[in-house]
Amino acid sequence: MTRQEIFDTLKDIIGSALERTDNMKDVSERSDLRTDVGLNSVGLLYIVISIEERLHVSFDDVSFNDFQTVSDVIDYIERHQG
Amino acid sequence: MTEIKANDSVFDKYADAETLKRIVSYESVSEMWDKCVEMYADSSAVADNGSDYSYMDIENEASFFRAVLLSAGLKRGDYVGLYAPNSKDFVVSFIAITTLGMCAVLLPPQLLKESVFGCAMKFGLKALVYAKALEGNLALIKEKKPSFPLLCADETVSGIVGASETSARKAGVVKVSRDEPCAVLFTGGTTGPSKGALLSNGAVMCGTKNGCYGYKNVFNQRYLLILPLTHVFGLIRTLLTSLYTGSSLYICRNNKDMFKDIAIHKPTLLVMVPALAEMALNLSKQFGRNMLGDDLRTVIAGAAVVSPYLVSEYKNLGIDLFPGYGLTESANLVSGNPEMCREPVSVGFLYPGMSARVVDGELWIKGPNVFTRYVADEEENKRAFEDGYFKTGDLVRFSDEGLLYIVGRKKELIVLSSGEKISPAQLETEFNKADCIQDSLVYSVFKNGHETLTLEVLPRAAYFKERGIADVKAFVSEELGNINGTLPSTHRVNEIIVRSSDFIRTPSMKIDRAKNTPASQGASGKAEK
Repeated sequence: MTRQEIFDTLKDIIGSALERTDNMKDVSERSDLRTDVGLNSVGLLYIVISIEERLHVSFDDVSFNDFQTVSDVIDYIERHQG
Repeated sequence: MTEIKANDSVFDKYADAETLKRIVSYESVSEMWDKCVEMYADSSAVADNGSDYSYMDIENEASFFRAVLLSAGLKRGDYVGLYAPNSKDFVVSFIAITTLGMCAVLLPPQLLKESVFGCAMKFGLKALVYAKALEGNLALIKEKKPSFPLLCADETVSGIVGASETSARKAGVVKVSRDEPCAVLFTGGTTGPSKGALLSNGAVMCGTKNGCYGYKNVFNQRYLLILPLTHVFGLIRTLLTSLYTGSSLYICRNNKDMFKDIAIHKPTLLVMVPALAEMALNLSKQFGRNMLGDDLRTVIAGAAVVSPYLVSEYKNLGIDLFPGYGLTESANLVSGNPEMCREPVSVGFLYPGMSARVVDGELWIKGPNVFTRYVADEEENKRAFEDGYFKTGDLVRFSDEGLLYIVGRKKELIVLSSGEKISPAQLETEFNKADCIQDSLVYSVFKNGHETLTLEVLPRAAYFKERGIADVKAFVSEELGNINGTLPSTHRVNEIIVRSSDFIRTPSMKIDRAKNTPASQGASGKAEK
C-alpha cells in the first residue's frame, strides 16, 4: 500500500472509532492522536484492533501509547506491512 | 422518605432449582476457597500467559505463598498491599493474603512511585506484594523505608514452586469470620478524590454471591477477564464469582488481544464496561462477523450508563446484556436486571438482603454487601453514613414493582437561577433513548447574559451509515427536538450541539462532566455542592 492509501484507510478507521459522520478533513498526518483527533483509550484500542484485522500489521511488540501522531502510525504500518 | 426492602426471591424464577440450591452463603474468602478446591479440584480455574491452572494448582501455589507471608512476620489482621497487573500471580497472592485473615489493599498498577509510597504510609501497610514489572515504582519505599517488607509475587511463587517444591514450607487456609477485613479497593473518584473502601469478608462474599442471580447459566462457565483486578467489577464480579461458580477464568493481559483471546477461550460470560461492549459491537459490524464468539451468552455491563440500544443490539446477536448498578462501596452490585430484561433503562431489582431509603431523591443503602468504612478518612465516613445507611450520592426512583432507576448524581444537580433543580443525567437518559445518539451531556451556561440549558450529543455513526443518512445534524436536531418537546417546559434544553468527536472521558469511560462543560460567560447555573 502507498502512504496515501494507508492514510486514507487509517482515516476511515479513525472515523469509525470516533463515530464521526463527517469527512474528517481536519485530520492530517501531523494531527496528534489524542489532543487533535480526540481518541481516548477505547478509541485507540479500536484502531489497533482494526489495523491488525484490515492491514494484517501486528502491534504485539509495541505499545500504542508510544504513538503520538497520525504520521507515527503510518510510519509503523509502512515499516511492518507484508 | 421512602423505605424499600429487597424482595429476596425476586430472582428465583430465573434459575432452575438445582442452580438455586448451589447459590449458598459463605462467611469469608477462606470458607469459599476451601469449598471450591474441594468441589472443583481438577477443573480449570485460571488460564494465563499460555498455561492452565486447576483449582488445586492455585491452592498449591497459594499454600507456599502463605508460608512466605507468615515467615515475613505478617499476622492476621495486617494490611498487605498488592501491586500487580492482572495475572495468575495476582490471583494466587490475593487468595494467600485473604485466606490468612489478612487484608489485601489493592493498588492499581498505574499508580506512580510517589503514590505507592503514600498509600503504603496512609493505609498502614505491613508489607507489599508486587509484580517484578512494577519494581521501578518502589524506589521511594526502598529509599525511605529500607526495612519495609517487599515480596515479589512472580519470583516468590515461581521460585518456590519451581525450584524446591518438596522442601518448601506450606501453610493452610485459616478460618476467618465475616466481620474481619478482607480488601481495600479504591473508589473511582467520579465526584472527588479517590478513597480506600474497606470491605469485610462478609461483604466480599455477599457481592460475589449476588453475581449469581438473574440468569440461567451460572455455574461452570468460561469467563474472560478484561477489567482490572483492582476494580470491584474485575475482582468480585469477575474473579471471585468465577471461582465461586467453579468456572474457568482466562486472563486477557492486553485488551488489544481481547478478540484473539475470545477465539481461543470461547467465553460464555463477559463482564465489561458499556464502552467496550459498544466497541465490540461496532467491530463486529465493521468486519461482518460476531467478534465475541458463538459461545457467548451473557454480558454483564456496569460502571457506566448502558443504553437500551446496546441491550437490543446484543439481543440480535443472541446475547443477553444485563445492565446493573454497583459501587465499590457495595462490593459489586446493588441491583441487577434479570434475564428477559424488560426495562433496560432500569438497573434492575435490589439484591437479596438489601434495604434502601430514598431521602430527598438520594439512594441510601444498607445490607451485608455494604463496606465497613473509608480507611483513614474520618471526615468522609461522617458524611457517608447516617442511621446505619450508606448515602450513595446517586439520585434514584423505584417503580411500583421495585425496579431501580438512576436519575443522576446529587453533586451534579444543576440549580437554575429560577431555583429549579435539574438532574442532567435524567435529561440525558431521555435523549439517549434515541437510537441515533451514542451519548449526551446536559449542562447550563450563561451565554450573552442568558442562562442556556445546553445539550451536546455524539451521533452514532453506524446508525447513519446503515441508513444512508447524509445530513446527520439535521436528522439529530429533528429527533432530539421532538423528544425535547415532550419534556416539562422547565426541563427543555435551549440549545442542541451535535459533536463530530467524542467527549473527554474518565478512565472508566464515563463522560467527564467537568472537563466537557464550558466555562460560563458571567453568572451561571451552578452544580449543587
